[in-house]
Amino acid sequence: MNKKSSKTSSSNENYSHLELLNLGKIFFKEKKFIDFRSKGNRSGFEAIKDINLKIEKNTFVSIIGPSGCGKSTLLNLIAGLQAPTSGKIVIDGQAIKGPGPDRGVIFQNYALMPWLTTIQNIEFALNTVFPAKTKADVKERARKYLRMVGLEKASNKFPKELSGGMKQRVAIARALSINPNMLLMDEPFGALDALTRSYLQDELLSIWRKNKVTVVLITHSIEEALLLSDKIVLMSSGPSAIISEEISVDLERPRDREKIEQDPKYLKIKMRLEKHLLRETRAVEEVT
Amino acid sequence: MNKAISTRLTFVVAILSLLIFIILWQVIAQQGLLVKNFPGSFKTIESLIWWVSDPFFDNGPNDLGIGTNLLISLRRVLIGYSLAVLVAVPLGVLMGMSKLAQSSLNPYVQLLKPVSPLAWLPVGLFVFRNSEITGIFVIFITSIWPTLINTAFGVASINPDYLRVSKSLGASKSTTIRRVILPAIMPNILAGMRISMGTAWLVIVAAEMLLGTGIGYFIWNEWNNLSLENIFVAIIIIGFTGFILDQFFGFLQDKFDYSI
Ligand SMILES: Nc1ncnc2c1ncn2[C@@H]1O[C@H](COP(=O)(O)OP(=O)(O)O)[C@@H](O)[C@H]1O
Ligand SMILES: [Mg+2]
Repeated sequence: MNKKSSKTSSSNENYSHLELLNLGKIFFKEKKFIDFRSKGNRSGFEAIKDINLKIEKNTFVSIIGPSGCGKSTLLNLIAGLQAPTSGKIVIDGQAIKGPGPDRGVIFQNYALMPWLTTIQNIEFALNTVFPAKTKADVKERARKYLRMVGLEKASNKFPKELSGGMKQRVAIARALSINPNMLLMDEPFGALDALTRSYLQDELLSIWRKNKVTVVLITHSIEEALLLSDKIVLMSSGPSAIISEEISVDLERPRDREKIEQDPKYLKIKMRLEKHLLRETRAVEEVT
Repeated sequence: MNKAISTRLTFVVAILSLLIFIILWQVIAQQGLLVKNFPGSFKTIESLIWWVSDPFFDNGPNDLGIGTNLLISLRRVLIGYSLAVLVAVPLGVLMGMSKLAQSSLNPYVQLLKPVSPLAWLPVGLFVFRNSEITGIFVIFITSIWPTLINTAFGVASINPDYLRVSKSLGASKSTTIRRVILPAIMPNILAGMRISMGTAWLVIVAAEMLLGTGIGYFIWNEWNNLSLENIFVAIIIIGFTGFILDQFFGFLQDKFDYSI
């Protein structure tokens, strides 16, 4: 709704672009239709608690943490796909009530509809978000974003005819086509081979630079986080995971993936991240 | 093996096996090895040619061409079946989406599904007092369960990623149903429709023996005429028609198989 105003006026704002305030999520067991035993107090699984985080406009933020700690849960909350049990999410000064086209979401398994061609997948997003747009407009716009990820030639192919990397590029094009302010990505490159992964990381960086979006990226790769982010958020092991640290990555851009590994600053942060992840992962393994 | 040669070989083997079957049948019948006066394959083929060469004559309800009877049966099946699909798909989607609908409807489905649809025939006759509508009604009951159950199962087991994409775009419930859920469960719906059609085609023959006219009644009538070779003609025609119907759904299923 207030997308235009928030994009143009940024000088006199005293809030960040995205604020998570005391955010918590408890998963309750599904209530049975008739349940004689558990009356009243339902016990649940507290995935995350007391999450406080501020993210500035057009920054690139990575969230890293041991597996199962609640990263996906956190991203789903920001996307509005799930409702928090406590706390709130504020975007440009307004608490969100659900999903919205100001946030484009990219899932690990691409989540392309197999009955639609590449271009139809993007058109589906556009038709849903902009119902007033004409058919020709939608087609033109879908083409533009396919061109942006270098897949114009594959526009009439079905997802099953594409490689994993190509599918994720289509998903990125779909997420960007609705012109979101924020790109939310849940381990988007986790299922790809190393070469494709590097290629898409570069692609994502160039898209991020050109499109003026805020990116929240969930990853389990320290190298990926370091190469891409302005800020890395570390989560503790679950249950009741919290944010244990925020690290600013003040490495110069553009970052060259070979040279950066010689940079003492890079190595220092990397060691810190490795130590943290090792500690938290050990905590997970020793509990279970 | 070379594919062209292998298909030709399959064809040759099929023809050979058919020839052997026809000859064996004729020999067994001619020698009276089974029972006396059992019609042989030659006599049956002769009848088949006779019936097929003039399929659409109409000399009153007890003397219809086999094509006319076939069309009567097909018409009943198509009407009852189509109505069943129109009810089963929306109901299945509802049951797949809503816990409440699932828990309130499932007991009836589980209870009625195993009942032979022929049990509904007297009910139909009593209520409708019309054999045509009763036939359609029985086919409706027959066809509804497989499509309903497959549709509901399809919705319940839909890939949650598709729903999340739809939700993240802020799609309305109706958009999600029309543009995401229905296409996603097309393979399930078609699988259900294929089973429904197969069962409907089985049931119509039995139902028509009690209803008058139709290919099932043709069999009953020829039994009264003690003309076994005409019954064999009907069996061949029923089998062939069922095969064509099944192949049609097989073709549709291939079209909507997203995995290949
Ligand atoms: N819908 C749910 N119901 C119950 N528990 C859930 C649900 N979703 C996630 N969880 C639990 O919450 C924890 C965090 O899950 P998730 O956010 O997927 O972790 P991550 O993405 O960091 O691997 C896990 O222990 C998981 O089992
Ligand atoms: Mg996850």
